[in-house]
Amino acid sequence: MHEMSIAMNIVDIACKEAEKEGAPSISIIELDVGKLAGVMIDSLKFCYDSVCKGTLAENSKLLINEIVGRGQCIKCGSEFDIDSFMAICPTCESYEVEITQGRELKLKAVTVNE
Amino acid sequence: MCDTCGCGVPGKAVSFRKHGEDHHHHGDGHTHSHDHDHPHDHTHDHRHDRTIAVEQDILGENNLLAQRNRGYFEAKNIFSINLVSSPGSGKTTLLEKTLTALKDTECAVIEGDQQTMNDADRVAATGVPVLQINTGNGCHLDADMIHTAYRELQLKNDSILFIENVGNLVCPALFDLGEDKRVVVISVTEGDDKPAKYPTIFDQADICIINKIDLLPYVQFDVEKCKQHALQVNHHLEFFELSATTGEGMDTWLKWLKDQISK
Repeated sequence: MHEMSIAMNIVDIACKEAEKEGAPSISIIELDVGKLAGVMIDSLKFCYDSVCKGTLAENSKLLINEIVGRGQCIKCGSEFDIDSFMAICPTCESYEVEITQGRELKLKAVTVNE
Repeated sequence: MCDTCGCGVPGKAVSFRKHGEDHHHHGDGHTHSHDHDHPHDHTHDHRHDRTIAVEQDILGENNLLAQRNRGYFEAKNIFSINLVSSPGSGKTTLLEKTLTALKDTECAVIEGDQQTMNDADRVAATGVPVLQINTGNGCHLDADMIHTAYRELQLKNDSILFIENVGNLVCPALFDLGEDKRVVVISVTEGDDKPAKYPTIFDQADICIINKIDLLPYVQFDVEKCKQHALQVNHHLEFFELSATTGEGMDTWLKWLKDQISK
């Protein structure tokens, strides 16, 4: 379950930021997670709660902005929403689609208590 | 505390062992600790929240370490391959046969498994230097483990490094190790719809090896359908169809490997 490693990284980055600011605790961690990022949100939330224990992020809330997938057809250039890696261009039915959005896995912001 | 041996190494329970070594040892302090034990039992009667913009890639640290590995490999002219697949696809047999055929080329191997030295022992029998990483409960290798492993192995210039990742068709997809090429291995006993079911790992691969083709007469596996599924996920994929056991198709794979180091 790679979501455990990812949860550890999230809490690690957030705690370092909070420490830099001298904040006593973290109340919210906000993420951008693309639908094609290869991360199961439910697993991540589950791991997050256990990783937070004993850290500045204990009892904090995890806020996840899910980013929809977008693709661009290499053949005809049209752009469209996609919900899987097996995307087909709705205009020319080509499978040669470059994913332009949806792989995001980013820690966007940390809300700390003062 | 390490839950393999009870030593004081924090965080991971990862061990690194060369073939023939009795005792496992840990990394040399380059691992990043995940311990954040900062008790804060004072009260906050007038709490104010403040939001800090971070905008950091969650896998940024791994990606940075992977780039460091990539730079090291490039400087030493080492061609590196990350082999990923489900358990049982034949990665180790493919490695054994490949290493035996590449007798005139300097090679080294990093093996990744949760437990045992079995794969390292098999590779060592070919005479190639090998280091086994046991990840404990870990489901994938990461760039930091590879860094520790290749420093132990003391890689030669102008060589090939094969990294056999933990058998898992999901988790290794997200972790760049600094390799030149990522190779996903699928065997014909697994079902031709695997690329559709586990697309992330095929999306991140450069090469797809379809192994155990000698078993095609006995299984319901449509090679063309499998390739079509894989290309729908990743239209850049290159394919090799082979049987590591019988040697069928191995020539094309070996020629491709030799072409990569002569580039």
